Amino acid sequence: MNGVVTGGWGFVWAAYSLTAAALLLYGVTLITRLREERSRVARERETQ
Amino acid sequence: MDEMTVTGSPRTAGVLPGIILLAIAGYFGFVVALAQYYGAALSFGLPTGAQAGIAALLGVAGALYFLIADDVRSAPKFAFGLIGLGVVCFLVGSYYGLFVAPPESYMGEVQRIMYVHVPSAWNAMLGLTFAFICAIVFLFRPSWAWDARLEGSIEVSVLLAFLLCCQGAIWAKPTWGVWWDWDPRLTTTAVLLFAFVGILALRRFVEDPMKRGVWSSVATIIAYVDVPIVYFSVKWWNSLHQQPSNPGTVSKQFYLPLRMNAFAILFIMTGFIMLRARIAALRLEQELAPPPVSDAEAGETVEAIGEAI
Repeated sequence: MNGVVTGGWGFVWAAYSLTAAALLLYGVTLITRLREERSRVARERETQ
Repeated sequence: MDEMTVTGSPRTAGVLPGIILLAIAGYFGFVVALAQYYGAALSFGLPTGAQAGIAALLGVAGALYFLIADDVRSAPKFAFGLIGLGVVCFLVGSYYGLFVAPPESYMGEVQRIMYVHVPSAWNAMLGLTFAFICAIVFLFRPSWAWDARLEGSIEVSVLLAFLLCCQGAIWAKPTWGVWWDWDPRLTTTAVLLFAFVGILALRRFVEDPMKRGVWSSVATIIAYVDVPIVYFSVKWWNSLHQQPSNPGTVSKQFYLPLRMNAFAILFIMTGFIMLRARIAALRLEQELAPPPVSDAEAGETVEAIGEAI
């Protein structure tokens, strides 16, 4: 024990993967929700 | 209240000032640091602290300009542009953070988590500060566009705050020996996260748009009090968490990935808020639209008017 952390690449990859996956998934949901809202507004305009 | 329409003529705000601000911020934020890696001096003789100050100030100003100038009705091409730029910066910054920057003396490879953890923290606080601004503007100068921006900024900031807590837990395990500790910094951050999750829940439950806007604005202002508490918690109380870093305490070899990822997440967050505000604006437009009048109702109205005349 010398107070120095050794190894730990697994933790590093976990943090980066989690960040990238969360941002990617959230971005996809935003695009999906935006498309749904736009098509709903367009449908309502057509029915009026 | 301004009218919320999608097909109306959106205000065409010039984005050039925002682009210039972000370009200068990016230059002093990571282009200079990137050039230093390869032996080129592009800093005009400015000390590191001044470069960092200019980058931070202009980066925040540029992002706020984009968010405020965005009218939440026009096509989101600038939002996609910012997200694309952010993804490129994130890939480059993470490459340098994972494969080029050296390991830290005591924390070794695990310290590389800093290059995503600290940018997430900075940008979560910045996003919540924008939500605070939206809340104040909505209360004093009611406008549905500000309500849409408020919803967008809270949701994106909550995502970053959630990532912040997860990244922190992943970093804590190999360095502190535990995933979580009820330390002042961690506790106040958790309180912040749950407070804003609660505000998002409040917005889902309240059906009346005006009540929803006012209540969530007031709640945002109250919850924002925790942001400076989170920042100063490591100074006010004994904390396991390290003190805030500054250009004088971070080694030059760690600048580039840290700053590049900070700008990457800033660009991505700004684009996400612009997209999310559009979704909120479209829903608000539907809620505020007058109910459709059926042919039978229209006929009865005409007869009633005829009788009255």
